[in-house]
Amino acid sequence: MLDVIDLHKRFGAVQALNGLTLTVGAGEIVGLIGHNGAGKSTLVEVILGLARADSGTVRLGGTKINRAARVQIGVSPQELALYRSATVREHLRLFGGLAGLRGPVLRCRIDGVIDELALDGVADRQAGLLSGGQQRRAQAACALIGEPALLLLDEPTAGADPSTRQMLLTAVRRRAAAGAAILYTTHYLPELVELGATVAVARAGRVVAHGTRRDLLAGLPGEIRLRFDDGVPDAPPGYAISRHENELRVTAPDPGALLPRLIADLAAGDALPSAVEVRKPDLDDLYRALDATAAVAA
Amino acid sequence: MRYAGIRTMALVRHNAVLMLREPGPLISRLIMPVVLLSVLHPLYAAALSGSSNGTAQAATGMMVMFSMLAVSIVGITILSERLWHTWNRLRATPAHAAEILLAKSVSACGVLLAQQAAVITFAVIVFGLRVPNPALLGAAVLTWCLTLLCCGCLLGTLVRTSGALSAVQDVAGMLFTAVGGALVPLTVLPDWVRDIAPISPGYWGVSMLQAAFRGSIGDAVRDGGVLLGIALVTGVLACRRIVANQTTRG
Repeated sequence: MLDVIDLHKRFGAVQALNGLTLTVGAGEIVGLIGHNGAGKSTLVEVILGLARADSGTVRLGGTKINRAARVQIGVSPQELALYRSATVREHLRLFGGLAGLRGPVLRCRIDGVIDELALDGVADRQAGLLSGGQQRRAQAACALIGEPALLLLDEPTAGADPSTRQMLLTAVRRRAAAGAAILYTTHYLPELVELGATVAVARAGRVVAHGTRRDLLAGLPGEIRLRFDDGVPDAPPGYAISRHENELRVTAPDPGALLPRLIADLAAGDALPSAVEVRKPDLDDLYRALDATAAVAA
Repeated sequence: MRYAGIRTMALVRHNAVLMLREPGPLISRLIMPVVLLSVLHPLYAAALSGSSNGTAQAATGMMVMFSMLAVSIVGITILSERLWHTWNRLRATPAHAAEILLAKSVSACGVLLAQQAAVITFAVIVFGLRVPNPALLGAAVLTWCLTLLCCGCLLGTLVRTSGALSAVQDVAGMLFTAVGGALVPLTVLPDWVRDIAPISPGYWGVSMLQAAFRGSIGDAVRDGGVLLGIALVTGVLACRRIVANQTTRG
């Protein structure tokens, strides 16, 4: 559905995009993660035509994106972009109209999206009078109103309360199930797990890792955390162990398999832990590992 | 083309809603010129040779002065989009920049036309101002409003804050109004003011509207041509500013 190929974009001395390549298929949610300045927002702006790439290609459904093609794109920008004195319903009427909707179809869509994002009680309230969470939902509603084939959601849940976040994630999952391609940038990595998203990691203007969560985490080690209430003993030899206050942390490719031998070795030294936690690698670990790799490369 | 119509209608309606949601400035801009016209009319009539000239001067003066002070209505509609971060949101839709500007202009033009109509109607009914060629006057008013719209669009793309807009609006509006002879007739102003008066769009506005009130087609067309030239230059510059207004975030 969305093909981004070898995008380059420079703002003065800053190389915002440096050969970024990414594909989002129909029905797929791609979670784009990366530090601030990694190029995520610039990518969204180039896709939308708000910034012109120095080189590279962006295609939607196999054809280059032009102004008319934007009717197939719904966007929820990173910063709130609402008319303070217009009501939620007036926003939806505007963005529905800009998506080419009118009459009963538009009214039906407005009612549907208001219901979906629980905006019923505030649909006729001015945006400037809404709470932060309601504003986030109103902004997302504007992105959803045209039932777009591609959704660009740039940190859509930033600052949102848990119920708003849950509502937005449900709406995103529903759109993906209906066949929409979704590019979702975020710093909240657990959201990508909830969404079942494919993960793309951006760094310095390019995608440095891209795949399913399972594939990306496959090569990462897990961790065993052993807590000792009566003093941390000496670490048994032969393990990758670090000390953290009243804990020993053991890193291993398969921590579950290692645990019985580790406990046995500790018991032999008369040092049984008061609590044990086995951590499988998560996206935070992936993020940190890529950071470490980049630091070594630098 | 059909979708362009739907989009433009959606934008026009939305801009009208935003404008009517805060009607205070609009109402004051409609009432103030009528109030000032009724107060100052005797002075203009006394200062100029005949009552008819005085009425035309008073009416055109108020029309030009308060419409120039209303240019901020156009500017603020553009500036607000940037302050609310909705400008890029609109640009991310299929709407063409021309459709967005057109929609803003339609709403603002409605305000300016209402203001001009209020002054003319009041002057005709209360002071007996004659309009020998209504079509010519209508064309002159439209030309003047178009010029102001283009100037306002440029202003809205140049300033970054509402404070800056207000400052530029107040200073430039009053300066061009005074120098252009809208506030006080040029005939009673010093020579040097008369010499520099043509640099003010207000000068051409007063001159064109007075020609239209006289029914002088030739003079009105000449002055209107100058104003359309100003409209073209400022309109093109405004469009260029909008297109060049690319984001610079990394």
